[in-house]
Amino acid sequence: MPLDRVTIFCFAASYSVAWLLELTLLLVQRPALRYLATLFGAAGLLAHTIYFLVQRLTLDSQAGSLLFLAWILATFYLYGSLHYRRLAWGLFVLPVIIGLIGLAQAFGVSSAGDSAHGVTIPVDPLQFWNLAHIALFLLAAVGVSVAFVASIMYLVQSRRLMTKTLPGDGVPLPNLERLENMNRRGINWAFPLLTIGLIIGLVQMAQDHVQLQGWTDPRILSTIVLWIVFAIVLYLRYGFRLRGKRVAFLTIMAFALLLVTLVTSHQHKPGGIP
Amino acid sequence: MMLLAVGCSHRTATVELREKVAFDQDKLIRALDDLTARYGCEAVILSTCNRVELYLARPDAVLTLDGALITEFLAEFHQLARDQLAPHFYEHRLADVVLHLFRVVAGLDSMIVGEGQIAGQVKRAYETAHARGAVGPVLHALFQHAHAVAKRVRTETGIAHGRVSVSSAAVDYVRQVFDRFDDKTILVIGAGKMGELTLRHLRQLKPRRIWVANRSPEKAQEIAAACGGRAVAWEQLDEAVGDSDIVLSTTGAPEPIMTLERYQRIRPKRAGAAVVILDIAVPRDFDARIHDGDSTCLFNIDDLKRIREQTLRDRQKQIAPAEAIVEEEARRFSKEWSRRRHGPVIARLTQELETKRQAIVRQLFSRLNGQLTNEDRAYIEGAFRLLQNQFLHGPISALSEEVHEGGGHNLLDALRKLFRLGE
Repeated sequence: MPLDRVTIFCFAASYSVAWLLELTLLLVQRPALRYLATLFGAAGLLAHTIYFLVQRLTLDSQAGSLLFLAWILATFYLYGSLHYRRLAWGLFVLPVIIGLIGLAQAFGVSSAGDSAHGVTIPVDPLQFWNLAHIALFLLAAVGVSVAFVASIMYLVQSRRLMTKTLPGDGVPLPNLERLENMNRRGINWAFPLLTIGLIIGLVQMAQDHVQLQGWTDPRILSTIVLWIVFAIVLYLRYGFRLRGKRVAFLTIMAFALLLVTLVTSHQHKPGGIP
Repeated sequence: MMLLAVGCSHRTATVELREKVAFDQDKLIRALDDLTARYGCEAVILSTCNRVELYLARPDAVLTLDGALITEFLAEFHQLARDQLAPHFYEHRLADVVLHLFRVVAGLDSMIVGEGQIAGQVKRAYETAHARGAVGPVLHALFQHAHAVAKRVRTETGIAHGRVSVSSAAVDYVRQVFDRFDDKTILVIGAGKMGELTLRHLRQLKPRRIWVANRSPEKAQEIAAACGGRAVAWEQLDEAVGDSDIVLSTTGAPEPIMTLERYQRIRPKRAGAAVVILDIAVPRDFDARIHDGDSTCLFNIDDLKRIREQTLRDRQKQIAPAEAIVEEEARRFSKEWSRRRHGPVIARLTQELETKRQAIVRQLFSRLNGQLTNEDRAYIEGAFRLLQNQFLHGPISALSEEVHEGGGHNLLDALRKLFRLGE
């Protein structure tokens, strides 16, 4: 099969089947099902990689960045499935991956030189600073996504403990301490990357004489709000030693803001051209 | 071959009787020596708190032992009346011994189904007998196979999964909250027997430190010394709770020692750090309302008992697959054993008839020399071979059938005598 015939549907369907198999595992404990789920996940990741390479998606487009984020999370899912076979990683990570792919599809997938919805900043990805800005933002997004998944799992595990569910019953999850560490690492990793990425972006816009439509530009606004939320989370965690469920809820909020940032377009024009 | 198992277990005898017929190490060695000297048989004695069983074997069947004789031996050995023992003792022979031992070693005959201790106890019983020179080829093969059966049942079924003691179940809950323990502090409040057992399991997690708080400073010192911990003054209990990660409470206090109000005063000191409280005291030591499933996870004795009940329910589901494995292995053992024992006799018998057939055919061909075509010679040779095979089919099948029915020895002797095969 020619590689250019690999479509979004191929890997979205593979991830969906993997997720359905993970769901089935909750009812029927069969090792074969777990292997099958991992196999579908791996097939999805392969198709996803091929799609990314063949279609040469630009990372500065909404769809490109969403699909790239989904790809990194799929790698994370596969690693988790192979290394922590007894835990239900897929149950929580796969919906995020499928959701990101769905969002990418909704915003139209743009390949190099063919922007369906159009990225309004004519950036050249080869330019070092521009690439650094995009890469740092996406890496920060990976950290936030991992922290988000950990937070959801934390809340489920906490609920299980609250209701005193028997340890062997229900969804097999990591313990609270590990999930909290995962969340902490995700946020700690994301914040400096986001900060540097944001600074580079602002400096670059100033140098390119980009005319902003005020601070109401959705992407600028959502990025700054996201940064502020991060700063608050870190301050509460380290300043006030906030832990547990409250940090988990704040992380979920940060992830929602991240999605808003990823899907909002710049409303300004470059180089002062109206 | 003679193979016999005689014994009593938690199913047939009271604990008082089991205690009377139990063997300590000295008695065990003396009994092994007595049995081998008196009956000239191989012997293994399995003596645990739930069963006392004697496994006896002889490759030949010159002396036939039975349950009554061995019960008499036991009564004499323990200086008890035979009638006192006989109603509580069971007896298994030949293939039933194999099946029984495999069920025992797999934990299927245990008080708590699937318990793992029995496999080790069977192994030690065999090793003791082996060291004493009481084990021969039959029991050696049987106990080696039993060891493999125990392993297979554990690996292929979930019969050994889960916790069955309330004290060990506590570890399962603690593991739901914490990932590592080398930076954790365990606080033990009180000095109950149950607490001692639970602490033993928690210590296996290798915590950084153990603190012990007790109303009696001497008692606290004593427990702390026993578990390698440090005694904490009772007056400093709030500070200790505030600085601990796992609290094990097991006092005999008639009222809760930690009310919600008292805990609310401690909570801010914890700065959101998670704590698991195992309140195994009855009446309970901690107010149940402090449990939030996040920073404070409180589990009481009923919660721990639920794990045990769940484990037992799960193990019940594994009995059928485990029994199937045991039966399959018992059949395999009998088959292998019969092949090992009968193989040389069958080979000798076949060889004997083969030699005779060849001699007769040679004689016949020399008499009919020149009158037979090659085709005739092949036909005659084939007919004699067919006759030999049909002749052998009967005895070999009968031998195999008798082994499956649990015998084989008499027939084997008969074959040796009938065909003059010698030993």
